[in-house]
Amino acid sequence: MQSSPTMLTKFESKSSRAKGIAFHPTRPWILVSLHSSTIQLWDYRMGTLIDRFEEHDGPVRGVDFHPTQPLFVSGGDDYKIKVWNYQTRRCLFTLNGHLDYVRTVYFHPELPWILSASDDQTIRIWNWQNRSLICTMTGHNHYVMCAQFHPTEDLIASASLDQSVRIWDISGLRKKHSAPTSVSFEDQMARANPNQADMFGNTDAIVKFVLEGHDRGVNWVSFHPTLPLIVSAGDDRLIKLWRMSETKAWEVDTCRGHFQNASAALFHPHQDLILSAGEDKTIRVWDLNKRTSVQSFKRDVDRFWVIAAHPKINLFAAGHDTGVMVFKLERERPASAVHQNQLFYITKEKHVKSYDFAKNVESPPMLSLRKLGSPWVPPRTVSYNPAERAILVTSPADSGTYELIHLPRDATGAVEPTDVKRGQATSAVFVARNRFAVFNPATQQVDIKDLSNSTTKTIKPPAGTTDIYFGGTGCLLFITPTTVALFDIQQKKQLAEVTVSGVKYVVWSNDGLYCALLSKHNVTIVTKTLEQVSTLHETIRIKSATWDDSGVLIYSTLNHVKYSLLNGDNGIIRTLDQTVYLVRVKGRNVYCLDRNASPRVLEIDPTEYRFKLALVKRNYDEMLQIIKNSSLVGQSIISYLQKKGYPEIALQFVQDPQTRFDLALECGNLDVAIEMARELDRPNFWNRLGVEALAHGNHQTVEMTYQKQRNFDKLSFLYLATGDQEKLSRMAKIAEHRGDFTSRFQNAIYRGDVEDRIQMFKEVDQYPLAYLTAKTNGLTEEAESILEACGLTEDQITLPSVEQPLKTALPIVPTFKSKWPVKAAGHSSFEKALLGEVGAADEEDAGDAFEFDDAEPEAALAKDTLDDEEEDASGWDMGDDVNVEEDVEFVNVESPEAGAGSSEADLWARNSPLAADHVAAGSFDTAMQLLNRQVGAVQFAPLKDRFLEVFKASKTYLPATAGLPPLVNYVRRTTEETDSRKVLPIIPRDLETIAGAELQEGYAAMRANKLEDGVKIFKGIVHGLLVNTVSSEAEVEQAKKIIETAREYILAMSIELERRGVSTDSEEGLKRSLELSAYFTIPKLEVAHRQLALMAAMKFSFANKNYNSALGFANRMLANGGSAKLLEQARKIKAQCERNPSDAIDIEFDQFAEFDICAASHTPIFSGSPNVADLFTGAKYHPQYKGSVCRISDVTEIGAPASGLRLFVPGQY
Amino acid sequence: MDPFSAEGELLNIHNAFHSGQYQEVIDFETAALSSENQLPARVLKLRAQIALGQTDEVLAEVSSEEDTPDLAAVKALAQQAAGKTDAALQLAQELAENYPENATVEVLAATVLQVQGYSEEAIALLTKHQGNLEAVSLIVQIHLQQNRTDLALKEVQAAKRWAQDSLLVNLAESWVGLRVGGETYQSAFYVYEELASAPSTSAPLSIVGQAVAELHLGRLPEAEAALTTALERYPEDAELIANTIVLNVLSGKPSTDLESRLQQLDPSHALLADIQEKSEFFDTAAAKYAPKVSS
Repeated sequence: MQSSPTMLTKFESKSSRAKGIAFHPTRPWILVSLHSSTIQLWDYRMGTLIDRFEEHDGPVRGVDFHPTQPLFVSGGDDYKIKVWNYQTRRCLFTLNGHLDYVRTVYFHPELPWILSASDDQTIRIWNWQNRSLICTMTGHNHYVMCAQFHPTEDLIASASLDQSVRIWDISGLRKKHSAPTSVSFEDQMARANPNQADMFGNTDAIVKFVLEGHDRGVNWVSFHPTLPLIVSAGDDRLIKLWRMSETKAWEVDTCRGHFQNASAALFHPHQDLILSAGEDKTIRVWDLNKRTSVQSFKRDVDRFWVIAAHPKINLFAAGHDTGVMVFKLERERPASAVHQNQLFYITKEKHVKSYDFAKNVESPPMLSLRKLGSPWVPPRTVSYNPAERAILVTSPADSGTYELIHLPRDATGAVEPTDVKRGQATSAVFVARNRFAVFNPATQQVDIKDLSNSTTKTIKPPAGTTDIYFGGTGCLLFITPTTVALFDIQQKKQLAEVTVSGVKYVVWSNDGLYCALLSKHNVTIVTKTLEQVSTLHETIRIKSATWDDSGVLIYSTLNHVKYSLLNGDNGIIRTLDQTVYLVRVKGRNVYCLDRNASPRVLEIDPTEYRFKLALVKRNYDEMLQIIKNSSLVGQSIISYLQKKGYPEIALQFVQDPQTRFDLALECGNLDVAIEMARELDRPNFWNRLGVEALAHGNHQTVEMTYQKQRNFDKLSFLYLATGDQEKLSRMAKIAEHRGDFTSRFQNAIYRGDVEDRIQMFKEVDQYPLAYLTAKTNGLTEEAESILEACGLTEDQITLPSVEQPLKTALPIVPTFKSKWPVKAAGHSSFEKALLGEVGAADEEDAGDAFEFDDAEPEAALAKDTLDDEEEDASGWDMGDDVNVEEDVEFVNVESPEAGAGSSEADLWARNSPLAADHVAAGSFDTAMQLLNRQVGAVQFAPLKDRFLEVFKASKTYLPATAGLPPLVNYVRRTTEETDSRKVLPIIPRDLETIAGAELQEGYAAMRANKLEDGVKIFKGIVHGLLVNTVSSEAEVEQAKKIIETAREYILAMSIELERRGVSTDSEEGLKRSLELSAYFTIPKLEVAHRQLALMAAMKFSFANKNYNSALGFANRMLANGGSAKLLEQARKIKAQCERNPSDAIDIEFDQFAEFDICAASHTPIFSGSPNVADLFTGAKYHPQYKGSVCRISDVTEIGAPASGLRLFVPGQY
Repeated sequence: MDPFSAEGELLNIHNAFHSGQYQEVIDFETAALSSENQLPARVLKLRAQIALGQTDEVLAEVSSEEDTPDLAAVKALAQQAAGKTDAALQLAQELAENYPENATVEVLAATVLQVQGYSEEAIALLTKHQGNLEAVSLIVQIHLQQNRTDLALKEVQAAKRWAQDSLLVNLAESWVGLRVGGETYQSAFYVYEELASAPSTSAPLSIVGQAVAELHLGRLPEAEAALTTALERYPEDAELIANTIVLNVLSGKPSTDLESRLQQLDPSHALLADIQEKSEFFDTAAAKYAPKVSS
């Protein structure tokens, strides 16, 4: 019996006897009905059981999928036909009617019909839509074993144990059940013709032919998909082929070979083959034209009962005693070989063709290999020898053959080759220009042959070798089921071995340094000396692989193209809609052969693997390029980078502040971490930043985080450790301020400040300790005064003997002025590349990198000292905040009364450190304290309206019981909140109102030249914002901007108002007036408004013959642009002034100098000259105004120390 | 049987009184009522008169019938409303001593006591009630005025167990709701909205309640709509004006006209008193600060 080298089993299941099989038309599913009453649904690609359907009673013999809908039908020995929905996994309904076992069931390819064959000797057609029996075909006088629809015509074939095959014509049935218009007169006549009716007068289905020839019962019958052929299988062990015409049918031939009952037979869907299965445990393949056996496959113990073909792809399934097997008849992998830009491959027609990658052109056929092997077996491999322009082709036919063929110079068509050398071998590869190796598994021998096909050397490969591959120049790879061995042909010696099981294909990288070993589910990458580099596992079968020029392996599975780096990192590049075999990858193109052996080009996006490769190779330039030019972002790449230990690179991709913070800490990039912590501004982040900064020795940052966290003790210790005496003494003051004696004591110890310690002991009534301290430190006077205060004398006290007190050491090196040796911070060369965008930052280019390193610390230092100054201020600001809270608590202690609870207003004051909330609560005194500290407010009268306004809006009056005063309720801005610790009052005139309506009102006053009103409105804005709350840091900034705007307008309007009050009669008055009109143009008004000021100043100067000044104003107007009318005037004046650019009256105004206007005297403060500012409004004053009330706000004291306005508490709103 | 219950013949007049429709109470036809309900109905009518400010008439009417404790209690309330606070207090304390079981005495005397600041006595008297919802609602209000929202809430929840649908319990719950805030703002709003939109119960009381709830919910335009229409209908209602002032301040509108109107109508209104007090407080507090250099 012939062996079956090309039958490829793809899937096998273990179960009880499989009686019916059906392929899903599109999905990789197979339905199997079992003798045990179960119907199984398998995914044959994954090899998993998807579902089981168990409602039949007894064996189920027939199943079929509906071609389009999610339905299948089954028929069983319980006489029932069931229709199921596999999506809902339920039996939809049951068709009853058969009186004995149902053998087969099939859906009609397009009509809503089901065909069933039964042991009750009938064949029935059912309409599954209205669930009715529409036709019963009688005539067989024994069990009907099988009945099938013709795929296109209105015919049915049936096989019966009465030894006959019958062909039925059901066109009558179709006409009866289709639209009535199609019934012509002839049809009616024909139908009325009693001759054609069967014995029951049934004209729907009539027997067309009865095929007699089997001399035992017939088990199976099938139509040919396109030809008028029929195949049947019978208990006489024969497969019979029948042909039919319009009028008759006859037996064509018989296929003999089965030595037991033949169970089933069918035609190959697109090749001239017949497949049959029998109880002799074989599947046989027959040549349709010659009726000879092509191949056969035998199982040891299982009898075959049924066979089915996939409607579209090259797959078959057969059911036997212990399950099903899904198999292919032949390999679909086209044999191919790549040389440089050429692909050589063998088509389905066994033509050798080439394909040019660069030109994307297929050559015409070069050769025909029709005679190679057997006609039904495609060649397995091809190996190309460019020097001789020869190919080595192997075919598995006849236990493996190879042919060495020279390719013709020009591809002129599928010519038969001449001068063919052939021999027996399963594998044949070129190993050198004039040598090739062939392997014969039967003899377990490798022959090295020259081009005349004579053996020059014989090698004994390791036992169990299954295949050989090219192993680099002069070497071979021997593949055994568990290992791969590298063998040097010259030395006849094994060089290396690696244990990899089940290797099927070997793919060398383009540079010959690496090699990918593909097995069914694994890819193992090894070096050219077989050292394993990486390995990866795929659940889906691996099909092929090819190497990128950069050393990335691109491989394909059944449905994906994937990549693998040398280090084993891998990922999906794209999905495939059909299986392809990769042959080459170049740029964005992957070249492959599909199963029809035609070349295809797939486009891929190599960004991801290129990036990862660049990362591995530390090729920062390329990474930079990729980051800049592609949209390579997303969580996966970030986590990849993080996982791989490149947080500093991941940092470049991240926007989210929290993630950025985490990454920055991870890579030690404190600058970014600080920035993010500021943005997030939550204690947890400051804390983590502090810890990290401490580890870096970056104590300035540590200091800041402690300040942010109000971690006084740590702060003190930090100052001690860094020797910052000045700040340490400030800490002591803060401690004193806070009334925290422990902290104060600690600070005093740190500073060695004995006096303070004594003072503190006295304050807490610890006179003995105070005395002891004074005494031991030799402060006798102090000691005596303490004694005196206590009314004691020295002899009344016994002191413990104390040694000379330790002198507190003074810091020798002012460590605090610079950073400690800092842990190498995280500017990787990548970041440098990214930040500096250095052109070619090669790693070798050390000089470049060094310069970079050098420059960094300086800049950082400069920045740090700057930061230091800023932080200094914020440090003390924080001290003030603490006081505020204590004050609030103090207020609260007073308020609770026995019996009654505290009102919500009290809660507001308790819940918030913002002045506006205290105002709303009616706690004006604490609000004033807050404002005094925050902005240096000293004159509150102008704020009275605002205070009362806020207060008034805080309560509603709800009438309740008649005769009692109304219930007072408190209006909240936190309308959703019910937790009394979080409720906060509503503040009228919120930022939105002020920023919108009120600001516009102010601008309108400016335009309408109502300056008195304007000043009032802008001051109202300033006051409104002073007593207010906002809901975010962003809004705080907005509020500050508005205050600045208001300041500029108030200043400008005040200047202009003063000018209007100055008499121009005197020369002095005129001069001042001119000056003021010039100053009016200085504040930063909206451009349109500045134009008004400039216009006024220009005209005024011009009228007073100060042409030079007027010219300056005109130029500025022209530079600003705007309304044509204004510009026209400016141009005219400019023209006039340019004739005589001089001033008649000399005024104190230099249009080219930088200066601010003092808001009190309305005189210039030139840059660099001394000045004081109002902290709240930012208005500038001459130094002599320090201590007076700001002219802009009318509330705050100029130059008063203040912590800055607070409008927002994070997390509070 | 509770004469105010759903089946009782006093239900309508009772509801009218508590939803603030005092004129309807006075006009209520009482002749057909059964004899035992005559007195409670009369008391309600007299209280409605007091609520409308007709204290002199009430005092004249009850002067001859002071032996009836109910009417004596009415007298105390009338005296209180008329400003004779000492006499009212004395009478109320006397009645509380002698007739602590009388429902009318409980409510009215407690009202007088509470107004005069004797909250503890008031509560003590009211807690003697036996299923008197008016007493319950009064207790709730007193708790709320003392900022004991927790106790008020407890009281309401207890009352809800036996008088789920009563108007008074609903109202009391709304009062508490407007204190607690959050979601209960919305439920309070629904109670008042229902009252205000039904003609049989619509009165300044319910409209103010609705508007106040909307104010607390931060829905200023809706509150404004309710208050403006109500103010047209009841231009003299002090609470309407007071809450409109609050609304105007919140939405940045002038409120001086309304303030002077309130000043005329009810010079002792809590809003005005508060503002007055805080204004003075502001001046004293502000006096502590001065610039280092006067300009």
